[in-house]
Amino acid sequence: MITREWPMYRVVLENLQLLPLLPRFNLKPGFGELSVEEVCRAHGVNTDFFLEIANAYLDELYVPGEGLSLFSLGTVVNYISATHSYYKDIALPTVELKLHRLMEHSKLSEKEIRLLTTFFNDYKKDFMIHLSQEEEHILPYILELERQASLVKPDPEFVQKLQTYSIREFEQEHDRLETSLKHLSELIIKYLPPFDDLQLCHQVLNDLSVLMKDLVDHADMEDKVLIPRVAELERSLINAVSSG
Amino acid sequence: MKISGFILVIDSYLLRKGVVALLNRIQGVRVLKEYGAEDSFINYLDKHSVDFIIIGQYEFQRSINLFVSKPELLEKTILVEGAYRDGHMQDVSEFDLKTSISLMEDRDVLMDKIHKLLKGKDDHMDTHSMGLSPRETTIVRLVSMGYTNREIAEKLFLSTHTVMTHRKNINNKLGIKSVSGLTIYAIVNNIITIEEHGSLPSK
Repeated sequence: MITREWPMYRVVLENLQLLPLLPRFNLKPGFGELSVEEVCRAHGVNTDFFLEIANAYLDELYVPGEGLSLFSLGTVVNYISATHSYYKDIALPTVELKLHRLMEHSKLSEKEIRLLTTFFNDYKKDFMIHLSQEEEHILPYILELERQASLVKPDPEFVQKLQTYSIREFEQEHDRLETSLKHLSELIIKYLPPFDDLQLCHQVLNDLSVLMKDLVDHADMEDKVLIPRVAELERSLINAVSSG
Repeated sequence: MKISGFILVIDSYLLRKGVVALLNRIQGVRVLKEYGAEDSFINYLDKHSVDFIIIGQYEFQRSINLFVSKPELLEKTILVEGAYRDGHMQDVSEFDLKTSISLMEDRDVLMDKIHKLLKGKDDHMDTHSMGLSPRETTIVRLVSMGYTNREIAEKLFLSTHTVMTHRKNINNKLGIKSVSGLTIYAIVNNIITIEEHGSLPSK
């Protein structure tokens, strides 16, 4: 398990799978001898939060939950937004570019190329809709909820709405985005004819697998940490108002 | 396979770590949390979704009030038998537990029991979220071949409205909205071959 005293360079050097996390905290390699805590402080990152996320990312058995509940929902929301940017600006475009290059130098039929291209475009579209729904509705709602809960006199209209709306509804319609990527990998490994550019083919599969794991971790974080905490805050706000 | 989350409530350090080592060998298992002596696992259950609880006999008796007040937990509970402590052991057979494992059982028998539990859970999920009816499978097949809703309605002697209802149910079950997504789903689930997809000349 990573702790705050570790030199950051060692954390990253020994766990290169953490690289995709760094930009979400605005961190770049070139750490020198600085410890995790020193790097985080220099970049305005909450060290405990970084440690929770990094440890959860590295260890499947690591349960975030309790540690994560020590941070403001605002911190969690910021991290989610940064993760969304990583998906939109880096992860998806990278896979897309490689997939196209792979298809260009392949023996796939025109029909197969069209299927893959349409599939990826449609997937991207669904993905973006999913992210923008969270960004436009869910995240602002969470921030507003936290703000209202901190007020001495919360807005009665807002509390009234809580009687009919809960974050739990969002949980129910929270699609899992990784399933289609798994289908795509399976298509490449099992059903399509072999690709000549083996290196590139492996890269595409590897990128898909990294993205899938990231999406699973991210959805776990939302379902197991964020949503229960938001639901708790909703309840306590309703109770505070009805008893006060 | 979906990941199933386990929590362990076993006082004995050696026994607990033994169970963890066993579980870690099984694909699709995640040990979410381990509890030893006098820990309260109730709070954890309130806030997290847990698929299975593995609990020692003694620990089960200690928490008996919890299980009486929340009988739905029994559905998830696996009792570890054979780790006796001093004192009288109550008969727990009146409780409708998911299953039990015994200290004396072979590794293979234990692994087999856990596999069965996981499979049971997956099957359960299938009927709810994945399993398409034969009619829906036919529709996925035709959609993947490139037929429009109207053409499918004509072919199957249904109204377009009925076909659209089927399409909506399929989307809900699979969580896939686009035609291309359904097509890839159909190929990897052997509903159509890769040659058959979009095989209509007009498409």
